[in-house]
Amino acid sequence: MENPETYKVLSCILEILKMMIESGAEIYRVEESAIRMFKARGAKKVDVYATTSNIIVSIETSDGVIKTHTRRIGSITTDIERIHKLNALARDISSGQLTLYQIKQRIHTIQVAPTYSRFVTILFYGVIAGAFYLFFNGRNWVEFLCSFGIGLVTGVLSKAADHIRINKFWIKFICSFIACMIAFSLRRFGVIESIDYIIIANIMTLIPGIGLTNSLRDLFVGDSISGILRLIEAMMLALAIACGYIITSFVFGGVM
Amino acid sequence: MNTLDVIIQVVTALIVTMGFGFLFNIRGSKLMVASVGGALCWGLFLLLGIWIQSEALRYFLVSLCSTVYAEMFARVLKTPATTFSIITLIPLVPGGALYYTTTFALSGTIEPFITKMIYTMELAVALSLGIVIVTAVFRSLPRRTQQ
Repeated sequence: MENPETYKVLSCILEILKMMIESGAEIYRVEESAIRMFKARGAKKVDVYATTSNIIVSIETSDGVIKTHTRRIGSITTDIERIHKLNALARDISSGQLTLYQIKQRIHTIQVAPTYSRFVTILFYGVIAGAFYLFFNGRNWVEFLCSFGIGLVTGVLSKAADHIRINKFWIKFICSFIACMIAFSLRRFGVIESIDYIIIANIMTLIPGIGLTNSLRDLFVGDSISGILRLIEAMMLALAIACGYIITSFVFGGVM
Repeated sequence: MNTLDVIIQVVTALIVTMGFGFLFNIRGSKLMVASVGGALCWGLFLLLGIWIQSEALRYFLVSLCSTVYAEMFARVLKTPATTFSIITLIPLVPGGALYYTTTFALSGTIEPFITKMIYTMELAVALSLGIVIVTAVFRSLPRRTQQ
């Protein structure tokens, strides 16, 4: 493993690690795969420090070359398929079968792999909101349709937000605010009688359940910094959602 | 709770979990395993209700089972357990409790607000505790040879 090669491998593997964190993998998984991959590529010592905001890797090869590299982590989403593929790639690299060129190709394949289309995603926002309405024992067909419709609106907003550079707390706030506004207006105009289940159903599509669970998991396996970062983020998001609801109920003159 | 309600809840739990599967880009057989897991989790939660009063305790037990389910299928389908462990618990996320907490806070009724807030936190902690315990156990098991 001579000099330029070492550097390229380092950069490539770091890209994989970055993508893993950005798709929502746990920190311990990222650090463990990093160590395994570098060891398989001939590093003598590997030190990895990953958090949800950056990764630092330092490796020492058997001929005494020391390289350190760092990457900043962008926004974190949940993309299970990508984690699955990256994990498989990490496993193949650890078993030492792949050349540098093959690794690069695999990374590229993962980067361009399709996700579900925009239409499907938006539709499922509606389906989730509708299904949750029934799940919470709502039994009125007009309200069910309203819940489904509001879900679609939330879906459109969330998807539209992908194309605008906007802070994610604002996205959640706006989604929650508009969903609640529609629900409250419909009640005001006498279309529906109760809005509780509709609002709960739509809050469920926005709530940062995954972030919260991941944060607790990071905390309990000892990655305190990442755990705390994720926890604060999840709580801020929940607060943003609650604010949307609170402001709407003030607009509509007091509560209940 | 009558039978029809139970059926509706279990079926919608399946749909909801599948819906989140689409949002989180889960594909193929993994999507099936995750959705069925979601329905099973809620079914188990209702079933346990026959014997156990405390919701927090039920949440904890369901979360234990769901994580075992996730770890097992993760090994079968060679994928990280995250694929299933969180999404199957989506029907149990205490969104309703959170909503009522906020409502009580808004209407200025302090006592129900605090009761509801503590209740919401209990449920969240019960859920994550289940996941954490099982994950810790599975991580300490010796790995099968990776290659």
